[in-house]
Amino acid sequence: MKEGVMTRFRNWIPMPGSVGIFTGTIMFISLVLAGLIIPNFGPFKANDFVGEPFASMSAKHPFGLDQLGRDVMTRTFAGVPIDLGVAFLGVSIPFIIGTIVGIFLGLAKNRYFINLVGSIIDGVNAFPLLVLAIAMISFFGTGLQSVIIILSITNWARYARIARTRAIVVSQQNYIEAAKTLGYPRWRTIRKHIVPNVSSETIAYALSDFILVIMVVSGLSFLGLAATPPLAEWGSMIAEGRSYLSQAWWITIFPGAALCWAAVSLSFIVEGLSRRDGGM
Amino acid sequence: MLNRKGFVNIIKSEFLSRVLGRLIRSIAVAFWVMVIAFTLMRLAPGDPALARLGPGAEPEAIELLQKQLRLDVNPLQQFWGYFVELLQGSLGDSLQTSTPVLSLIGQTLPVTIYLILLSTFFALLLSIPIGTAIAWSGRSPLVYGFRTITAMLLAIPNFFLALVGMLFFSVKHNWAPVFGYNTSFPENLRYLWLPVLVNTIIMTSVISRVVFSSIVETKREEFVETGIIRGVGKSRFFWFYILKPSLAPTVVLLSYMMGTMLGATVILETIFSLPGIGRELVTAVLVRDYPVVQGIVLVFGAITVFLSFMGDLVAYYLDRRVKI
Repeated sequence: MKEGVMTRFRNWIPMPGSVGIFTGTIMFISLVLAGLIIPNFGPFKANDFVGEPFASMSAKHPFGLDQLGRDVMTRTFAGVPIDLGVAFLGVSIPFIIGTIVGIFLGLAKNRYFINLVGSIIDGVNAFPLLVLAIAMISFFGTGLQSVIIILSITNWARYARIARTRAIVVSQQNYIEAAKTLGYPRWRTIRKHIVPNVSSETIAYALSDFILVIMVVSGLSFLGLAATPPLAEWGSMIAEGRSYLSQAWWITIFPGAALCWAAVSLSFIVEGLSRRDGGM
Repeated sequence: MLNRKGFVNIIKSEFLSRVLGRLIRSIAVAFWVMVIAFTLMRLAPGDPALARLGPGAEPEAIELLQKQLRLDVNPLQQFWGYFVELLQGSLGDSLQTSTPVLSLIGQTLPVTIYLILLSTFFALLLSIPIGTAIAWSGRSPLVYGFRTITAMLLAIPNFFLALVGMLFFSVKHNWAPVFGYNTSFPENLRYLWLPVLVNTIIMTSVISRVVFSSIVETKREEFVETGIIRGVGKSRFFWFYILKPSLAPTVVLLSYMMGTMLGATVILETIFSLPGIGRELVTAVLVRDYPVVQGIVLVFGAITVFLSFMGDLVAYYLDRRVKI
C-alpha cells in the first residue's frame, strides 16, 4: 500500500528539477508583469509626490511612502524594467561578443594569435568584475549607459573562455568530420553545428551570469556610480532609504525584496536546470 | 630497473615542472593585468585631465595635470614610464592628497584582509561539516532542502543582507555600531562582526554546495570502492578516501571566491564605513583620483592572480589528478 503511494508520487514528478524551474519561472514572470502593469496603469506615477513623507504602510499605499512622499510600491515595480533591462543588455552583449570571440579562437590555427588573445582573456578575467566596473566608471563617468558599455568591455572574456573550451571539444566531434567529408562549405558547418552546440553552453552560463550582473548594476547604483537618484532603480532606492533606516525601514526593504525576488527566481531556474542535467 | 628512490624523484620532478609551468602562466597573466590597469585610463573617451578639472579650467592647470599623468608623450613612452616606475616600487602619488599611492594602500589593505580572512575562516568552519554531513547522509529531503536554501542565499545581494542585519542589530538593538573603526585588535572586532557575518553567510552558501557536490562525486570513484573492499579503517577511510580528494575543488573555488570577495567587500566597507581598500577605491573614483584608482586596481588584480596560483598549487598537492 505504502509502496503504491510512493510510486504514484514518483510518477507525479515528471523530471528532477522541474519544481525549481517551474517556481522560478512563475516568480520571474509575475515580477515582470507587475513591473509592466503597476507603474503604467496603477493609480500613481513613480516620481509623483502623492502624500506625506515617511507615511507608513496603509491600504492606499501598501509599501508606504518615501522621504519625499512618493509611493514606494510604484517605484519598486518601476524598477523592474530598468534593472532587468540594463542587466539584460549587460548580459546579452557580452554573450554575443564572447561567444563569437571564443568560437573564433577555438577554431583558429595560428598559435601566436591564440596565445595572445588567450592571455588577454585571462588578464581581463583576473579582475573581480565589480572592481573593474567601479574603476572604469571613473573614466567613463556615471550613468546606466556607461554601465552597459563597461559590462560589454569586461564581461565578454568569461563567455569567451567557456566558448573557446567548448568550441575545441565540438570541432573534434565525429559529426564535424562527417560534414567535412560530405563536402559542405566550412561556413555552413560553423553555422549549423558549431554555433548551436557552443551557444547552448554559454546560454547556460548566461542565466547564472544574469544574477551576477543584476547585483553589479544595483551594487554600482547603490554606491552612487550608476543610476542617479530621481530614477526608480533598486540600488539607488536602497541607498536613499539607508539614511532613514531607523524611522522608515520600508523605503529600503521593499526595493531590496524585489531585487532578491528577481535574483532568487533566476537562481531557482539555474538550480532546476543543473538538477535536470544529471546533477543531484 | 626502477627502485623506490628513483620513482620518488620522477614524481618530484613532475611536480616541480607542473608548478613551474603554472608559475610562468601566472606571470604572463600578471603582465596583462598590469597592461589592463595601464590601459584603463587611456580607454576613456576624451581627455582625463579635462574631465577631472572641468570645462572651466585654465590651460596651464590642464597642461600641468597632463604632465603629472604622463599624458604629454606618446602611449609607448607612457607605458615605459609607468613600467619603470612600477619596477622601482612606486605607483605614483595621489592627485588629491599627493601622498604615495603605495602608502595609501598599505594603510587600508590590512582592514580588508582582516575582513576577508575572518569570514573565510568561519565560512570554512561551517561549510565543510555541513556539506560533508549532507552528502554523507544522502537522504533526499535533506539534500533537496539544503540545495533550495543555499540557492536562495547565494542570490541575495550582500548589501541588502548587510542592511537587514543593520536594521536588526544596530537600529533595533544597538548591538553593532553603525559606523567607525578601531585599528587595535580586540576593539576592532566590535566593528567587524556584522560585516564578517554577512560575508560568512554568503560564502558558506557557495562553499558548502561545492563541498557537497565534490563529496558526492568522490563517493562514485573507483578508489572508494577499493577502500571499502580492502576494509580500510573507518576514520582513515573518511579522511583519506573521501575528504582529502574532495577538498581540491573546494580550494580552487575558495581561491577564486576570495578574489570575488575583494570586489564584494567594496560595498560592505562602504556600508559599514570601514577604512578598507574598497572604500578608498570608491572615494577615489568619485573624485577622479586616477593614480589611486589605477594602483588599487593593479593591487586587486595582482592579489587575484596570486590567490588563483596558490589555490591551484594546493589543489594539485591534495589531488595529483588536478590539471594546473
